[in-house]
Amino acid sequence: MSAALLSVRALSKSFGGLRALDAVDLELTAGEILGVIGPNGAGKTTLFSLIAGSLQPTSGEVLFEGTPVTGRSAHRLVRGGIVRTHQIVRPFANLTVLENVTVAALHGNRRADIPARHRAPRVLEFVGLADRADQLPGQLTLAGRKRLELARALATIPRVLLLDEVIAGVNPAEAVALAALVRRVRDELGTSIIMIEHVMPAVMSLSDRVLVLDHGKKIAQGTPAEVVRDPGVIEAYLGTSSEATAP
Amino acid sequence: MSVSTPDLVPPRVAAGFAAGVVLLAVAPWALDLSPYSHNLVTLAFLLISGAVAWNWMGGFLGQISFGHAALFGLGGFVSARLLLSGPVPAPLAWLVGGLVAGVFSLGAHPALRLRGPYFSIATIGLGEAVRLIFTYWEDFTGGASGLSLPIDPDMKHQLYWWGLGLAAIVVAVSWLMRHSTFGLQLLAIKADVDAAGDVGVSATFYQDLVFVLSGAVVGVSGGLYASYFSFIEPNDMFGFDRSIAFVLMTVIGGVGTILGPVLGAIVFVLLRQYLLASYPDLYLGLYGALLILIILFEPLGMAGLLRRLGHLLRRRRVPAAAAGGTP
Repeated sequence: MSAALLSVRALSKSFGGLRALDAVDLELTAGEILGVIGPNGAGKTTLFSLIAGSLQPTSGEVLFEGTPVTGRSAHRLVRGGIVRTHQIVRPFANLTVLENVTVAALHGNRRADIPARHRAPRVLEFVGLADRADQLPGQLTLAGRKRLELARALATIPRVLLLDEVIAGVNPAEAVALAALVRRVRDELGTSIIMIEHVMPAVMSLSDRVLVLDHGKKIAQGTPAEVVRDPGVIEAYLGTSSEATAP
Repeated sequence: MSVSTPDLVPPRVAAGFAAGVVLLAVAPWALDLSPYSHNLVTLAFLLISGAVAWNWMGGFLGQISFGHAALFGLGGFVSARLLLSGPVPAPLAWLVGGLVAGVFSLGAHPALRLRGPYFSIATIGLGEAVRLIFTYWEDFTGGASGLSLPIDPDMKHQLYWWGLGLAAIVVAVSWLMRHSTFGLQLLAIKADVDAAGDVGVSATFYQDLVFVLSGAVVGVSGGLYASYFSFIEPNDMFGFDRSIAFVLMTVIGGVGTILGPVLGAIVFVLLRQYLLASYPDLYLGLYGALLILIILFEPLGMAGLLRRLGHLLRRRRVPAAAAGGTP
């Protein structure tokens, strides 16, 4: 239990009468990639928003290295080493690619050994945007902006990286390249990752474990192979056979 | 990989800036300025300072304030009261006025929960509330009949250089802000305040800090203004049209640019001076027309026009140089 880098306990969020997230538990161990899947509206992004401090939970707690960080504001969590990306990329449109990453490099993990202004170019190189440093985000392709979103998060030297559909929406070749990049983040930088993803081949090949959400509840958890065989998961995605054959 | 970090202040910019300040400093003697022009330029310096400081908030941080008259008036009345209370050196009175206005501007902090136009509307409310309070607080402001400071021709003459000093400092600070990582964070907050928080920028800290800086400068310029006119009155100092003037000057000059508010303030002073007396209606109409043209055709205002002109000239010069070839 104490080995977990990040623990989420009975985390819940209600918006009025809607229970967007209902008592979800999860554990992330150091160096792990945890996939989060589930149908639209399952509460995946809400889960991220609660962990990353964009939303306040209704109940439950988040522990980072055993310390409660529940409800802490996003910018303080970044300093501690937890950072998120957005499904709809949100670059600072008025800043160049390099400036976007520099802003992030100024903050984040205080234990970082490289000074901020050297860090940003290195991160751009890592994600493959070095030759786009002086362009504006609007000049990048969607895949390029996804890389920028990732670069900005990496520039804070996170220990826990929350990736919200960083692969979805790009062409298949780009998807493969982005998946490889995510793997390099874990393998080369040692960052622990929780990733929400709809692209099944990517999430199944990258994840050590997968957590499945449906209607705000955790319905399954296990290795990718276990999860795809889980009857509850199949039902959540495809419906029951009686529904399917109903007249 | 060669992403070089340029100098914070390139030598050419520093030299140009210093030369400009020196030229303006000796201009009253060199050009033998009439008292009228001398005073007009002084007024321009004060408005430049205010517009540049407004732009820190409105241009860099993206928090459009329609309530800066409150800070201008507060700086003016606090320093006027100090000057009337006894033998206080004028610069000290101005500084205290600025400090009070700077701290007071934190009053806008709760309005940060509101964003975009909603924030701006809140600043209108705050500004008007302050105007009414000070209009009715007759013991402090003299009410509608205002306050008169002892008329001191020497002081009015000297204010030219005080105003120049303030404007120079404020423009220099503006440059440093825009070209440093500090300014980068302000621009990030302007682009997307939530995304800025998600990469570790403490938005409210920077917002509060810029409020204080902006408020302090506008307060100091209000103090200088009080000494300049020797008479101040709450409805003028705290008036809504004064708040609007800060916005107009910056938008016409170029929001978010360094030179923009400077140019906007100069145009504002000139237009007002030459048109207000003879055609008061035409003056406002002209300004409105200018505003519409700017918003339609050049969002970066006069600074944007200059930039375009610069690009055009450079493009024309390059082929000319190429055609000349080597001898």
